[in-house]
Amino acid sequence: MKILLVEDDAPLAAEIARVLRAEHFALDHAVNGEDGQHLGETETYDAVVLDLGLPKRGGLAVLQSWRAGGHTVPVLILTARDGWSDKVAGFKAGADDFLVKPFRVEELVIRLRALVRRASANGASRLVCGPLTYDSGLGTFECDGLPLKLTGLEWRVLSCLILRKDGVVPRGQLIERVYDGDADVDSNSVEVIMTRLRRKIAPARIEGVRGHGYRLMAGAEA
Amino acid sequence: MSRPAPVNPSGRPIPPSPRAHGPDHSAKKPAGPFHLGSLQRRLLVAAGVFVTMALVVAGLGIGLILHRFVRGQVDSRLDSQLVAIAASLRRGPGGVSVGRNLDGPPFDRERAGWYWQVRQGAEAVRSGSLEGRDLALPALPHPGRDDDAPRPADGTGPWGQPLILRILVLPPEGVAGPAILVASAPASALNGPLREAAGVLALVLGLLGLCLMAGTFAQVRLGLKPLDRLRRDLTDIRAGRRTRVPGKQPAEIRPLVTEVNALLDQNAANLERARNHVANLAHGLKTPLATLTLALSDSHRDPDGVLSGLVSAMDRQVRHHLRRARTAALEGGTRERTAITGHVADLRTTFLRLYAEKSLAIDVAIPADLAVACDGQDIDEMLGNLVDNACQWGRTRVRVSGVVTDEGAIVTVEDDGPGLDDAAAAQAIRRGRRLDETVPGNGFGLSITTELAELYGGTLRLDRSPLGGLRAGLVLPV
Repeated sequence: MKILLVEDDAPLAAEIARVLRAEHFALDHAVNGEDGQHLGETETYDAVVLDLGLPKRGGLAVLQSWRAGGHTVPVLILTARDGWSDKVAGFKAGADDFLVKPFRVEELVIRLRALVRRASANGASRLVCGPLTYDSGLGTFECDGLPLKLTGLEWRVLSCLILRKDGVVPRGQLIERVYDGDADVDSNSVEVIMTRLRRKIAPARIEGVRGHGYRLMAGAEA
Repeated sequence: MSRPAPVNPSGRPIPPSPRAHGPDHSAKKPAGPFHLGSLQRRLLVAAGVFVTMALVVAGLGIGLILHRFVRGQVDSRLDSQLVAIAASLRRGPGGVSVGRNLDGPPFDRERAGWYWQVRQGAEAVRSGSLEGRDLALPALPHPGRDDDAPRPADGTGPWGQPLILRILVLPPEGVAGPAILVASAPASALNGPLREAAGVLALVLGLLGLCLMAGTFAQVRLGLKPLDRLRRDLTDIRAGRRTRVPGKQPAEIRPLVTEVNALLDQNAANLERARNHVANLAHGLKTPLATLTLALSDSHRDPDGVLSGLVSAMDRQVRHHLRRARTAALEGGTRERTAITGHVADLRTTFLRLYAEKSLAIDVAIPADLAVACDGQDIDEMLGNLVDNACQWGRTRVRVSGVVTDEGAIVTVEDDGPGLDDAAAAQAIRRGRRLDETVPGNGFGLSITTELAELYGGTLRLDRSPLGGLRAGLVLPV
């Protein structure tokens, strides 16, 4: 799962980045509204954390531009203003959720996971694929009732696949959603992660669709 | 309930309204017709002075004209007597005589002051009314160029009576020396009619004066009426029934109204600036607080949670004082009527998204014309908290409805959740008395709503909804 963070306050951005990376999220960071808007329009993200008071271009204007341009990425607004009028204005501009500063880590993470899950049209908070279960509230995977130990990259790949378990996730999109924007992606590294994951989640399996992408399958049989 | 003195956006206490102190202390200012406290009294005193002066001048002028007129009448009567005497005068070296009886009325009345006399040297003829007495002449006025015209003079009769005299000097004729012809009338012939006329004149002028003062009074009342209306408009503004003084005013008051409206606009702008200032302060303080909160979530940095506790205490203080500043800015501010349907519709959209997980149904039944005398932002705040609470506790349904009663507008927010018992409901409303001591969470929004509603003179009532859960009735002024 990859998040775009648009926040001009460097210490706060650093803390959010630290917290989200600790929760296995991939993250791009923009320090002003213009850069944030550009990244949101050109890259693929599972969700955006958008501050409202931004230099160069305000958060609401950025959000309105995205929505006017047909970008439906879920947006969580961060703001210091806690009146309902401000929240209403945010939702009218197209926000999906709202977090008033200061907020607790758990709150941010839970809301982001819920946003991403809802955006992939999954109603229930627990997603099941064969023996594999994903708890979107806690962000944990279980296989046959036992918790799965996953690295950050493995977690991102698996959550990306289970959120789209009925279809094929294109390889390019998977890479975009898994690696940070400035990461140097080795073409083999995805395959390496897939191999490790396949071992951990058996009997569920990840099927490679040649020339296209990957698909999460419930059972052993093809 | 004690509340600190209201402060305006600049933080200075607002001086108490002079109305609260009863009698106007400006009455102690120096007295005098032009330092009078009342504009109306000042105008009336000035009008009174001028009307009196005008009437006195008019009275004197009319008196003078009357005097000249009556005097002219008397003079011409005397002059025609002199002409008649001169015409029948027979002058010889030995004496003078008149050819016929010239004692026609009023010269026939004895000692009445109507006399005539002709003197030539030591000889004289005179009217019978003199009873043979001599009519003493004052020193003859110096003869003018038209010597043949009678000259006026004042004199005294033989019985001490003041007289008006006309004197005609006939030049010597042949052997006869100059003859002096005198006709007299009593001074009362002049003063009597004058005194009579003066009485009537005074009465008429007095009535005129009364009419003028009554007219002035009516004019002043009429002229000052716009000021009275202006005062009522300003009262309405203070009470929040109006936001501006209407521009349709007399030309003399219009500049004042323009200034007052400019002042009101400036006040509103100051309020807006103060609110923005508060919002900026919030942003400035809350971002570092957010950073601290996240930084302290790392258990190595704050193993016993003391620092996190301090951060949340700071956050509570910031929230409390921001709210305090906002509500203080609200006190004494002007209130427009705001239609609430739009606000409720926006809140509904917001809460459907915020509670997307719960698949709640939010039904809205608000008459389109329902408007309340509250600021839009505060409507959002009050209803937002109520709907938030209902969405949080409701199982499947939230209903927002509105109705106008004698009490004001009642907006009801109800849900089908567990509801609150009476004690808990009272507690929820009361808890926000000390906002800096309360912790956000269950019931917190209700106390904020109560406080805001009370600032507007409204109330919040909690009871059980027919849906099963809590019913919150927010009463707001219309």
